[in-house]
Amino acid sequence: MARARVEEQPATGTTLIVMVGLGIAFLLFMAFLNVVKSGNLLNESNLLYAALIFYSGAGALYLGFGVTGTESYVKFASLATWAGLLANTGAVAHRWYQAGHPPFASIYEMLLSFVWTLAALTLIAEKRYGVKVIGTVTMPVTIVGVVLMQLLRSDVRPLVPALQSTWLHVHVTLAMLAYAACALSFALAMMFLIQDKMKTETFLAATSLFTVGIYASILTRFEKWGGLNVIAWNADEKSEVFISKGVRLFVTIPDLGWLMVVVLAAVAAPLVLYLAGRVQKNEDFLNIANRAVFIGILLQSLALVFFLLRARDGQYASLDAEGLYPTSLAASPFILSGLIGGIFASLLYLLLLWRRDDLERLLPDANALDRITYKTICIAFPLLTLMIAAGAYWANRTWGSYWSWDPKETWAAITWLIYAGYLHMRITRGMRGRVAAYFAVLGFVVVMFTFFGVTYLLPGLHSYA
Amino acid sequence: MALSFRTASSKIWQTLSSIKTGVILIILVVIFSAAGTVILQRPMTDPDDMQRAYSPRMLHIFDAVGLTDVFHARWFVALLVLVSLSIIAASLQRFPNSWRYFARPYKSPDENFRRVLPTRAQITVADEETGLVAAERAFREMGWKSERIVQPESFSLFSERHRISEMAVYIVHASLLLIFLGGIVDALYGWRGFLMIPQGEQSSEVALRAGVTRALPFAVRCEAAGEETYSDGSPKRWWSKLAVVDGGQEVQRKEISVNDPMVYHGLRFYQSSYGSTGKVDQLTLIARPTADAGDPREISLAPDQTVALDSDTTVHLAEFIPDFVVGDGRVYARSNDVVNPAARLVVASQKTPANQASLDFWLPEIPGVGQNALSPYTFEAKDLKMQHFTGLQVSHEPGQWSVWAGVILMGIGLTLVFYVVHMRFWVVPVYDGRGNVVLWIGGTANRNRDAFEQKFQKLVEEIKEQLKAERRTSTRETAAVTFAGK
Repeated sequence: MARARVEEQPATGTTLIVMVGLGIAFLLFMAFLNVVKSGNLLNESNLLYAALIFYSGAGALYLGFGVTGTESYVKFASLATWAGLLANTGAVAHRWYQAGHPPFASIYEMLLSFVWTLAALTLIAEKRYGVKVIGTVTMPVTIVGVVLMQLLRSDVRPLVPALQSTWLHVHVTLAMLAYAACALSFALAMMFLIQDKMKTETFLAATSLFTVGIYASILTRFEKWGGLNVIAWNADEKSEVFISKGVRLFVTIPDLGWLMVVVLAAVAAPLVLYLAGRVQKNEDFLNIANRAVFIGILLQSLALVFFLLRARDGQYASLDAEGLYPTSLAASPFILSGLIGGIFASLLYLLLLWRRDDLERLLPDANALDRITYKTICIAFPLLTLMIAAGAYWANRTWGSYWSWDPKETWAAITWLIYAGYLHMRITRGMRGRVAAYFAVLGFVVVMFTFFGVTYLLPGLHSYA
Repeated sequence: MALSFRTASSKIWQTLSSIKTGVILIILVVIFSAAGTVILQRPMTDPDDMQRAYSPRMLHIFDAVGLTDVFHARWFVALLVLVSLSIIAASLQRFPNSWRYFARPYKSPDENFRRVLPTRAQITVADEETGLVAAERAFREMGWKSERIVQPESFSLFSERHRISEMAVYIVHASLLLIFLGGIVDALYGWRGFLMIPQGEQSSEVALRAGVTRALPFAVRCEAAGEETYSDGSPKRWWSKLAVVDGGQEVQRKEISVNDPMVYHGLRFYQSSYGSTGKVDQLTLIARPTADAGDPREISLAPDQTVALDSDTTVHLAEFIPDFVVGDGRVYARSNDVVNPAARLVVASQKTPANQASLDFWLPEIPGVGQNALSPYTFEAKDLKMQHFTGLQVSHEPGQWSVWAGVILMGIGLTLVFYVVHMRFWVVPVYDGRGNVVLWIGGTANRNRDAFEQKFQKLVEEIKEQLKAERRTSTRETAAVTFAGK
C-alpha cells in the first residue's frame, strides 16, 4: 500500500528536488552577491554559511525521503551532504590555518569539528551500512550546530598557557570522535525503535516528555509577573555581562514567561491525554492527543518567533542592577536550541505518525539495526576511554593532578559508566533490542549534557570549553 | 555454626559477584557523583558563596550527610571500594572457567558438539587424507596455521586465532583495579600545595590549605621568572628558572613553564601563577642638588640600600608602598598591586639643620608628611623595577604510576575486547550413513559473529577449491599412468 502511494506521486519527487535545488542555488547566489561586495570569497564564515545551506538542503531531502520514500532523494541528499562536508572541511582548514592550532580551543571551534565529524559519519553509515534515513536525524543536529556557531563568539583568541599542549588536541579530537559516534548510535537506536514496531503512542509520550523537559528547564528562568530571565550581553565585547567573578547578570524580558507557561501546558497535553487514554483504555484520547501535537507545534513556533523577536536585541531591566541592559540571541544559546529541538522532535513524531509504513520499508531490519548500534558503541566506548585518559594526562601536566572531580570530568566518567553498563548488560546478560536501544538513547542524552550542559550549567575548570 | 557462617559468606560472595550488584553499584556511583557536580562543593567554593546558595538548615543537612564534599566523603570512598570488590569478585568467579577454556583448548570435537554447533558445513571427499590435505592447504592459503590432531582412531585438524581475546575482559578489569589502586594510594599518601617564591629567593614552605604548611626537606630557589604576553595583553607563557638546593648544594636546575613541570624526589613543581610581590627590586632616581646648580645624577637603589650622593650626604631607600593612601597624617598600604606607589627615602647630611641627622623625603611629595622641602637634594623617579614572584603548584602523587599503567593496560584490554576475535575452526573427516567420507567443518567466534560467518564461508569455499585442484592433478597423474601403461 505504501508503495502504491509512492508511485502515485512521482511528480512530487522531482518537485522537491527542484525546489531544494533552486533554494540552494538562490541562497548561494545571494550569498555570492554579498561576498562580491565585500571582496573576500573563501573565508571561514562564507564557507560555514555554504555548509549551512547545503546541510539544510540535505536535511530537507532526507526528510522528503523519509516522508515519500522516493529513492532519488537520497542520492541528491548525499550529494548535498558531500557538498556541505566539503564546505565544512574548508571552514575547518581555514580556521586551523588562521589560528595556527587545530580548532578545538573554544566551544565554537569544538562545534565546528563536531558537526564535521557527524556529517562524515552520516555518509559512512549511509554508504557502508545502508542506513539511508539516518540523515533525517543527524542533519537537523548539524543544522542546529551550525546555527549555534553563528551565535557563539568566533574570533580567534590566543591560547592561554594551559591550552598550549599537544595532549589537548589529542584529548579533544578523541572527544569529538567519541561524541559523534555516540550521536550516531543514538540515531540508530531511534531507527531500531521504529523498526521494532514500538507503538507510535509511546513515541508520542516520549516526544511530549522531551518537550515538557525543555520548557520546564526554560521556565526555571521564570520571573515574577510573567517575565523570562535571560543573560545580559555586551555587544562590543561579544560576551556575557558579569556582576562579579562567575556571576552573570540576568535581564527580564517581560511577558515571555507567560507564553512559555502556555506552551508548556500545550506540549504537556499529549502526555496527559496519553496517560488518561491508558488508564481509561479509550482510543479516542489518542486521536485528541495527536491533534494536540499540532497545536503544540503551532504554539512552539509562536514561542520561537516571539523569542527571536524579543531576545535578538532590545534593552531590558534587571533585578540585580539598575538601568537597562541589552541582550542578544548569543546570550541564550540553550533556550534557542531547546526551542528548535522541541519543534524538530514534534515534527519527527508527525513524520512517524503519517509515514510509518514507508519508514519501516526503507530501514534495514531490526536485528541489523540493533547490531550496528552495538558496533557503533563498540567504537565509541574505547574512544571515550582514551579521551578521558588523554584528558587526565593533560591535566596532570598542567595542574599537577590527573583527576580532580571537576564537573566535566565527573560527567565524562558518568558517560563512561553508562556505556560500560550497556556493554556489560549486553555481553554478559544478553541484553538486546528495545532495552539496549533505550540504553543507547540514555547514553547520548548524558553525552549531550556533558558536552553542553556542564559547560553552561555547572561551574568548573573547563571554563573555556 | 560453621555451616551457617559458610552459607552466609557464600551468599555474600554470590551477591557481590553478580552482574546485578555491579550494575546497581554503578548506578549509585552515577547518582552520587552527579549530585556532587550539582551541589556546590566545599573544597572548590568560597564559604560565602555556600552561605548565599543554600539556607542554613539546608547547608547543615548537606554538611552532615557529606553532600558538600561528596568526592572525599567516607561513604563515597566506601562505595568505590565496594565497586572494586564487586569487580574482583565477579572476575574471580568467572576466571577459572575462562582460564580452563584458555589453557586447554578444545581441539577435537566430539559427535555431540559437532551436531549442535551452529556454524558448520560438510563436503564429500574421496578419502580422509585427501580431505585433510586440502583443508591444510586452504588454511595456509588463508594465512592461518593449522594443527593436525592425532587421536587413537582418527585424525582431525584444528586451527585457532587470537586466543588471548578470551582473557581481554580480565585485562580490562585488572587495569581498572590498577587505576583505583593508584587513586587510593594518592588519596592516602598524596598531597598538593602551593609554593610562592619571590624572584631571587628560595623557599621550602608549601601552603597546603588555608593556614597549613608543609616543610620540604630541601629548598627551591627562583632565579628568574617572567611572563610573555600576546599583543592584546592576554598571557601567552609563564616561565621560571628554578634551582633545587638540597643540603646546602644546588642539585638540579630547570626552566619550567606551564605544561612543563620540574620533578625532584617524586615531587612535581608546576608553573601556576606569576605576579608582583609588591616589593621593589630596583628604584632608579635622578638626584638634583637644591642649593647650587650642580649636575643632576642618576642613582639606583635597592631596598635598604644606602648610596652616597656627595662627601656629606647619603640617601637610603627605607620604605616602598605599592598602593598608598594617606590618613591622619600617616601613609598606609592599600594593596600589593602597583597602582599608586610611594617611596620613603632617608637623606642623611651634614648640611641639614643641626637638630637632626637625617630627614624623610617622600616620593611623590605628600603634603603634611615628610620634610621634602628641607632636603639638600630633590629626587625624581625615573624607573621602577618590581620584584616578582612565581607561584608553583607542588604535588606528590605516588600512586600515579599505577594509574598510568592501568590506563595503558586498559587501552590494550579494550582493543582486545572489541577488535580481536577468538576464532576456532575444526575439520573432522567423518563417515555419513551411506559409507561416504565427509569432511565436517565447524567454527566459532566469541564476538562479531556475522563477519565471522563470512570468513567461515570463505574457508569452506577455499577447501572446495583445493579439493578441485587436488582432483585435477590426481586425474592428470592417473591419465599419465594410464598413458605410460599403454
